[in-house]
Amino acid sequence: MNAREQNLLKSVTVTTWRFRIWVGFLLAVLAVGAYAYVLQLRQGLVVTGLRDQVSWGLYITNFVFFIGISHAGTLISAILRVTDTEWRRPITRMAEAITVFALCIGGPMVIVDLGRPDRMWNLFRYGRIQSPIIWDVLSVSTYLVGCLLYFFIPMIPDLALLADRHELAPWRRRLYKRLSLGWTGTPGEKELLERAIGVMAVVIIPLAVSVHTVVSWIFAMTLRPGWDSSIFGPYFVIGAIYSGAAGVVFSMFVLRRIYRLEAYIEIKHFRNLGLLLLSFALLYLYFNINEYLTIGYKVEGPERRLVYDLFFGRYAGAFWTVQTVGVIVPLLLMLTVLAWPRYRQFTVQGVSLAAFLVVIGAWAKRYLIIVPTLQTPFLPAQHLPENWTNYTPTWVEWSITAAALAGFLLIYTLLSKLFPIVSIWETRAEGEPTSEVSVAGASRWWRRGTAANTTALVLLAALLVFPSRAQAKAPRKLPPQPTVITIESHVVPTPASEPTGEAAPSQPDSHRVYFYAGPWLNHPPPFGGQEEKTEPPAIAVVASLRNPDGTPAAYKAVTFALQTGFGVLQLGSRPTDARGHVELVLRDQRYGAYPITVSFSGDDEFAPATSRQKVEFGLPPAPGLPRTGVLITPYATPGIGIPFLGFYGFMWVVFTYTFGYLVLYRMRRVRQENGNRTKGGD
Amino acid sequence: MDVSRRGFFGFLVRGAAALVAVGAVSKALASRIFREELPARSIAPSNQRWVMVIDLAKCDGCRDCTKACRAMHFVPPMQDWIKVFEITDNPTAGAYWLARPCMHCDNPPCVRGCPVGATFKRTDGIVMQDNDRCIGCRNCIAQCPYGARSFNWADPPHTAQEMARPYSMEYMYPHRKGTVEKCGFCPHHLREGKLPACASACTMGAVYFGDELEDAVTNSKGETIQFTKITKRGAAFRLMEELGTEPRVYYLPPANRKYPSPVEKQHA
Repeated sequence: MNAREQNLLKSVTVTTWRFRIWVGFLLAVLAVGAYAYVLQLRQGLVVTGLRDQVSWGLYITNFVFFIGISHAGTLISAILRVTDTEWRRPITRMAEAITVFALCIGGPMVIVDLGRPDRMWNLFRYGRIQSPIIWDVLSVSTYLVGCLLYFFIPMIPDLALLADRHELAPWRRRLYKRLSLGWTGTPGEKELLERAIGVMAVVIIPLAVSVHTVVSWIFAMTLRPGWDSSIFGPYFVIGAIYSGAAGVVFSMFVLRRIYRLEAYIEIKHFRNLGLLLLSFALLYLYFNINEYLTIGYKVEGPERRLVYDLFFGRYAGAFWTVQTVGVIVPLLLMLTVLAWPRYRQFTVQGVSLAAFLVVIGAWAKRYLIIVPTLQTPFLPAQHLPENWTNYTPTWVEWSITAAALAGFLLIYTLLSKLFPIVSIWETRAEGEPTSEVSVAGASRWWRRGTAANTTALVLLAALLVFPSRAQAKAPRKLPPQPTVITIESHVVPTPASEPTGEAAPSQPDSHRVYFYAGPWLNHPPPFGGQEEKTEPPAIAVVASLRNPDGTPAAYKAVTFALQTGFGVLQLGSRPTDARGHVELVLRDQRYGAYPITVSFSGDDEFAPATSRQKVEFGLPPAPGLPRTGVLITPYATPGIGIPFLGFYGFMWVVFTYTFGYLVLYRMRRVRQENGNRTKGGD
Repeated sequence: MDVSRRGFFGFLVRGAAALVAVGAVSKALASRIFREELPARSIAPSNQRWVMVIDLAKCDGCRDCTKACRAMHFVPPMQDWIKVFEITDNPTAGAYWLARPCMHCDNPPCVRGCPVGATFKRTDGIVMQDNDRCIGCRNCIAQCPYGARSFNWADPPHTAQEMARPYSMEYMYPHRKGTVEKCGFCPHHLREGKLPACASACTMGAVYFGDELEDAVTNSKGETIQFTKITKRGAAFRLMEELGTEPRVYYLPPANRKYPSPVEKQHA
């Protein structure tokens, strides 16, 4: 073990009093947060500033923020590994650590936001793949496992190295021994390790892109102004990588200062990551312009109020501050220290300060994406108290937020004590890292996979005009008599086409035909969707009015009424013809059997009479869910289920392959073979 | 490595067999995951398609519907399952009252977004809310453009009457902390052939309710009218038609109002 390794291990072996105070402080913040959460559990979310109008706030902001920060590991580590960039070696571990810890904090923020965390199990018991929430559960959990593996696998050789350090406490050495999985460092093992890392690095990139896209879809899948945007996926991904890279730079700065890692984390790392951050600042600026110009230019419908509030109204101060501090200032700052030779000496400080601003701005930006939209509902907020329409986070939310940050820092602190934060075996190398791979070359990788997910709904309206029929009866004269009413009904045969003069509303109103993904996203038609209503036939109700002898009562007004579930539908009155018949043709959109009452109110010659008879209208459509509904079925639909389950299922298969097969199984085999060979050689 | 012809054919045969096996397994799996039949709770007690028609010309903003709804369901404070808004579409047209129950959309965004199926569409058109299952993620609140959903931020104050019965998603009480609430068209009333509370309480007879398959809707005054006739002749519209939610609540335009509008009422 040389001096370099001794030095790197110092962060693991030496504990100072400053460290203890820091940990104590973080624990205190966590305790306050825990108290606040207990309070929230007991009293409900009423202790927060959230109400029906603004029902998501700080917690969801934190969730999106931490998931965003977690993209650092992927970017710095996976992309630089895949492109085989040499200078990455000292910083990959830090980046991966940030990913894992940010996910460990970000994921639970959603649980904190739940009204009934005790029923969380329902997500697995009744989960519907059609819901963006389930997509999130799927993607974040997959990503967490993937990142844990990706953090852990490259650490195995270092763990084996630590297990041999005699100055460490026995429990720690036992832990390292356990975790190192019996690593002995033979070339066969190394090759397998490199292969496992390589596979993980490749699959983790699309996985990371998918995770933040899915996070954005929670918002983009709603109809709300400001969220209902097809740019949201890539916008969030770029924003996430931007904030994540900034997180890595800032943590590099801090750890470098604390653990005196100046020899490993050099100015060139800040410079390279600064260039990366700069290019992402430009990209993010571009996305911001895209997002706000398109809604600000048109100011359509409900977005008008949102745009006004953001640009000039109640959020204007916050909005412009965040855009300036989070994007413009870091951009200028980095340009100064990176591009202006005169200020090059301030590269480390300048880039780190810019990164710090980016991280702060990223959090505030998430808040400004979530809250103003919710405060701009479609229907105006009326008759509600001020605190229902205006969201102000309470101390409970702030302390839980602080606790989340403290938890993140605490995990980081403790694990940086437990595990070396700079990879020892990777930096131990065949000479110093030499080539400085240009960032521009590497960045081609990150721009991939951010293709916008745009789903287009095309509506076509078709107007079907059906003919209706006229009816005309010529009256004739007859003698008067007392009354008996008989009712008959029959289906009026519908000739294919017959010109019409009658204004009676006839046919199905404009059938809007949807060319949207409905049939594909739902089950295809034969699978139990509600049947298209077939036009019910026209029904002719014929009543004949006569006296008991059979003499028809001609030219009498007869009233028709139909008994419905809730009341009586008056169908109007008609005169009888010379034969005492009266025919009423019903072309209503009615199905099933209904009693029809025919009544005659009586006059000088005939006594009043009433008769009632059940009349059969068309056969009702079979019960089912409406076909206009998209993705509303209680069961999974293949159109949406297969892509999601397929993608994340594939990830799990790869994880099993890399960790289960390559790392656990193959490595043991290699060691056994080695052992046998050495024995045989003796 | 050289591959013999026999070996290659063997590979093809084995590959085909493997494909068939994978196909069979995935088909069996798919039939378990992507089921076709509806679960029992999605099937309504009878074959109906409920619709509501609100005649805005008759509404005088008295909020009797809201009060009746509150009394019926012991609605927690600060929630309006049917809320009366004062709407001004444009300054020239003047203001009118707009009662907003749950729209029971045929393409309901809330149902689509619910992760656990706590809100679901029934075959009679009602969007049900099951608070035995709701996890309180409030995605449905974010999804609903009508603001028809409320959340129990705290444990709502209970009455003895409310607590006397076990929870049912038909009458929707007792209310529980941390779950989402909304109008359900009073399914327990419909079972008994009674109008929903708001429709039967409307003194103006502005709220009509009925079965689309009967092609008839009835209001509190016992007036039954043909549904397709008033929607056509009355130029009925649905709220935010452009969002494609396909609501089951229709409005008749507030033309020739009989009662003072919100603005006139204020000046009076």
